Amino acid sequence: MSEPARDIATLSWWMFAIAAVVFGGALFLLLLAWMGRGREGFPVIGKREKLESRAVVLFGIVIPVVVLVGVFAFANLVVLKDTDAPKASSTALTVEVTGHQWFWEVRYPGTRAVTANEIHIPARTRVNLVAKTDDVIHSIWIPRLNRKIDTIPGHPNRILLYADEPGRYRGQCAEFCGLQHAHMAMYVFADPPDRFRAWLRNMQRPEPAPSGPSERSGERTFMDGQCASCHTIRGTPARGDIGPDLTHLRSRTTLAGLTIPNRGGYLLRWIRNPQHFKPGNKMPALGLSDRQLQKLVTYLEGLR
Amino acid sequence: MASVAAPKARERIDRLQRIWEEPSGVVGWLTTVDHKRIGLMFFFTSLAFFAAGGVEALLIRTQLISPNGGLLSPNAFDEAMTMHGVTMIFLVVVPMSIGAFGNYLLPLMIGARDLAFPRMNALSFWIYLASGIFVYTGLAIGSAPNAGWFDYLPLGSKQFAPGPNIDFYTLGLIFNGLSTTATAVNLIVTTFKLRAPGMSLNRMPLFCYAMLATSFALVFALPPLNTALIFLELDRAVGFHFFDIAKGGDTLLWQHLFWIFGHPEVYIIILPAFGIATAIIPTFTRRKMVAFPLVALAEVLVAFIGFGVWVHHMFAVGLETITTIYFAAASLIIVIPSGIQLFAWITTILTGTPRFKTPLLWIVGFIVLFLLGGLSGVTFAAIPFDQQLTDTYYVVAHFHYVIFGAAVFPLLGGMYYWFPKVTGRMYYERVGQASFWLSFVGMNLTFFPMHIVGLLGMPRRQYTYPSGLGWTGYNLVETIGSYLLAAGLLLVVTNLAVSLFRGARAGNDPFGGDTLEWSTSSPPPSYNYAVIPRVTSPYAMWDREDREADERDLAGGGKRVLETGHETPASSVLDADWDEVLDMPSKSWAPLLLAAMLAATFAMLLTRHYVVAATCGALALLVLGGWHWKEPQEA
Amino acid sequence: MSEPSHSTRATSGVAASYAARRRISFPLGWWGVMLLVATETAFFGTLIASYFYLRLKAHQWPPAGIDPPDMTAPLILTGVLVTSSVPMLLAVRAARDARTGRTWLLLLVAALIQAAYLGVQIHFFGSDLDKFDPGDNAYGSIYFTLLAAHHLHVLVGILLIVWLLARLVTGLTNYRVTAVWVVAIYWYFVSILAVAVVLTQISPSL
Repeated sequence: MSEPARDIATLSWWMFAIAAVVFGGALFLLLLAWMGRGREGFPVIGKREKLESRAVVLFGIVIPVVVLVGVFAFANLVVLKDTDAPKASSTALTVEVTGHQWFWEVRYPGTRAVTANEIHIPARTRVNLVAKTDDVIHSIWIPRLNRKIDTIPGHPNRILLYADEPGRYRGQCAEFCGLQHAHMAMYVFADPPDRFRAWLRNMQRPEPAPSGPSERSGERTFMDGQCASCHTIRGTPARGDIGPDLTHLRSRTTLAGLTIPNRGGYLLRWIRNPQHFKPGNKMPALGLSDRQLQKLVTYLEGLR
Repeated sequence: MASVAAPKARERIDRLQRIWEEPSGVVGWLTTVDHKRIGLMFFFTSLAFFAAGGVEALLIRTQLISPNGGLLSPNAFDEAMTMHGVTMIFLVVVPMSIGAFGNYLLPLMIGARDLAFPRMNALSFWIYLASGIFVYTGLAIGSAPNAGWFDYLPLGSKQFAPGPNIDFYTLGLIFNGLSTTATAVNLIVTTFKLRAPGMSLNRMPLFCYAMLATSFALVFALPPLNTALIFLELDRAVGFHFFDIAKGGDTLLWQHLFWIFGHPEVYIIILPAFGIATAIIPTFTRRKMVAFPLVALAEVLVAFIGFGVWVHHMFAVGLETITTIYFAAASLIIVIPSGIQLFAWITTILTGTPRFKTPLLWIVGFIVLFLLGGLSGVTFAAIPFDQQLTDTYYVVAHFHYVIFGAAVFPLLGGMYYWFPKVTGRMYYERVGQASFWLSFVGMNLTFFPMHIVGLLGMPRRQYTYPSGLGWTGYNLVETIGSYLLAAGLLLVVTNLAVSLFRGARAGNDPFGGDTLEWSTSSPPPSYNYAVIPRVTSPYAMWDREDREADERDLAGGGKRVLETGHETPASSVLDADWDEVLDMPSKSWAPLLLAAMLAATFAMLLTRHYVVAATCGALALLVLGGWHWKEPQEA
Repeated sequence: MSEPSHSTRATSGVAASYAARRRISFPLGWWGVMLLVATETAFFGTLIASYFYLRLKAHQWPPAGIDPPDMTAPLILTGVLVTSSVPMLLAVRAARDARTGRTWLLLLVAALIQAAYLGVQIHFFGSDLDKFDPGDNAYGSIYFTLLAAHHLHVLVGILLIVWLLARLVTGLTNYRVTAVWVVAIYWYFVSILAVAVVLTQISPSL
């Protein structure tokens, strides 16, 4: 978890407790009303007109004001400070996440590292996440780490990412962004610092040239066909920017925004018919033969 | 109204009947200007749209009954969830509250014979019907609005929504807004000017205060929406750049404009329900409302403060902290008038001798559900909490508790309460109670788990969700609940429909009501009151002396009988001193014709035939001129 | 309390004048037009607020390539429009005094001033369109929309007076005396609106 998320959780439990008391109290009064329905006036003390108005003022104005001021002060003057955006250059690491219909582009400014739908950060390190969009409004939300932040065209936002412990944290787009809003999730991997550095080093390496005839054939299919017009693979002529960057594709745990795992036959099945898994997404079926598909997948699986 | 009337009284009643009665048959209804007929037309139309919105909801819930559901494609789901919101808010709750209940009951409660502008009232209805058909035409041709009911940009812009879907949304809602504005103006002028002489403002029932507050809120809330919609349509159709970042526009301008309307809109949705609650509670607890002046003030304050809180819908967009803190504070302030009312209602029930019949059951249910919805709403004023839970099922739970629980439950209670008055028949009480309990259980089963699944991280507006996240069980329960709720609502409608033909005859006042409508026959005669009632308190029916004085006038004549024409009295605003006697217009084709011309204009705007649209608009102006050619006393 | 008058049955100028004098509170039409003024004020308030919102977000306003707006002509024109309130006010009084002919002439004078205003404004609108386009950028969009909305309200006001002129040919009634007042109130509103709109329009040059 993280401190902002924990603080918000504490705030929530306190508010739920107060709400339960208020709700329980009101239900109790309604129960009394039912039980005393044959009798006029308050239970036990009977008819008291002045008390009626005074009770409304006390329970309808005075007590709510006190409770609300307390909630306001705690939530908006204390906890809010935790969830505020960090100042621009105040953290050791900055990650830039750009929402697209319907995937997340993840960059590490100052390096050449680019990936999609996965954010790797070192655990126990304050990370400044810059939230942007390439098209419509999306929203970056990793509940166990922090509040959500919308990505507004022309208006980059910042949010703090800080994981107390190493682990995998699930996030999702949280602002309706069109047909495949439901399949726009991401993982944040908080790794021990040396593992993170190793990962980042790997991400910056250029891809080695493909070895083996199948891989080379697959590479040709990729570069000569439609793939290269939508996807980028660093170190190759492929420079498309409509779909996610595919450099080091093999290192990712999922495909299509956590829709399917990146293992077994899933990559092949995805390429054969992307619309089956994510109807309405921008990748068409390519009409490749099974052999071409197999070789293409062999190539892509070599992008470690 | 005396049944054993002296001969003079009988004559008077016959004369009034001849003067005011409208023809039966289709032509009579197409040309009607009688607020009771128009109220009924609003009622049945909004009930039909309620069914449509309900089907949309059941489709959503059935799709989400399990992960990776296959009932709806992503686009079909997006259309269903958008149409569900648009239908329920613009085509069901507001029209039913002000167009059906407000329209039918307001003149009766203030002792008037019609609304201030009867022909404009008819226009409101025909425009409402046309605008609903307009939006649903989009659905019929497979291009329903599909970007959510608040249609955030850039998703709703031409670039990302090139089809006509969003044009149905913008033009349909502008068109619909004309109806709502007209009704609001009509209700305000009626409340100010047509109250029975002697009904000073402090003697006006709380229901009327609620309608007045709602109407004022509408007058000021709709223009920002219209501005936003006009800007959007200009951007989409003609290539303007209000919201287009690349050309100097601003994405968030849409959100500000929309929510400056959208937040007051939710108070517009709920205030009439407060009014219905304050009509039912005194009757069924047999005592006056506790802290009446505070409750009236609170109703007005809710409408007013509601304009200052809109940014709480935008806490996650990245605005300056100081801005969000101000709006969070304002959002907490609005809790106070709601709390005042809640506590006044509860205290009235507690200290009265309540009869827990069907109407009161719906109100008690409303109190419970409004409290829950209000409490979850308060949690959103804690900004960090909002920033976690906005756009999740927690907020879906919150607003359904306040919209369904707090706005629709009183509407259903009101349907039962005034059913005898409108139809002259009594509903089946035990079936009524069963319909309440089934709906109450169904409602909670559907929406309470949404709080939890939202807290577990499920965002809203997803056409499906993955298994393994702990969301599946809750979604299953919610779907089952929705079917139970649908069954409860069907039971309400069936009960009323069967009672319409087979219920026991009801007299004028089966419940011992406190407001004036219970003094006239069930259903009321076309002229509402043979004698304009005398009023000395907000509980006019419980003032026996005044009612007896009216009876004597009916027999003996007097200036309060007003039987020489199609007349109603007009009074001063505060003290209701009798100012003049107005002749009201009667049946007319003009409202229907004007609505048709306007519908044609909007249809041509949708299809981008601008010259034809301008022609239709000019024709509409001609119809408007023709309409006013007949002065009220000639009409 | 004396007998309240059946004011709607006052179908001659004299009777209408009497009914108008007897009233102790504003008639229905007054409330109706005031509420219309309320909605339109909210509408233009939103338009003007949007103008300044977009301006605040802009780096340069008007954007490069568009000249700051001329001040002289718009201000003079607005002054002219505001003066048309004088014959409108006098027309209201004349109607209440049952002086049909005088009312008719004063309304005509007002309408002529307003029509001249509108004609010149449309000319300037056209010449603005030659210089920059609403489809170019947000400045153009809000500039032309704000002005077009205002000119439409002026047009509607002129049509209302034309309708009044037609009705008054057959004399005054209670309804028409109130109608003259109602249209006059609409025009006072449009005049005040013209001031707000012109100040917004020329604000980059102020």
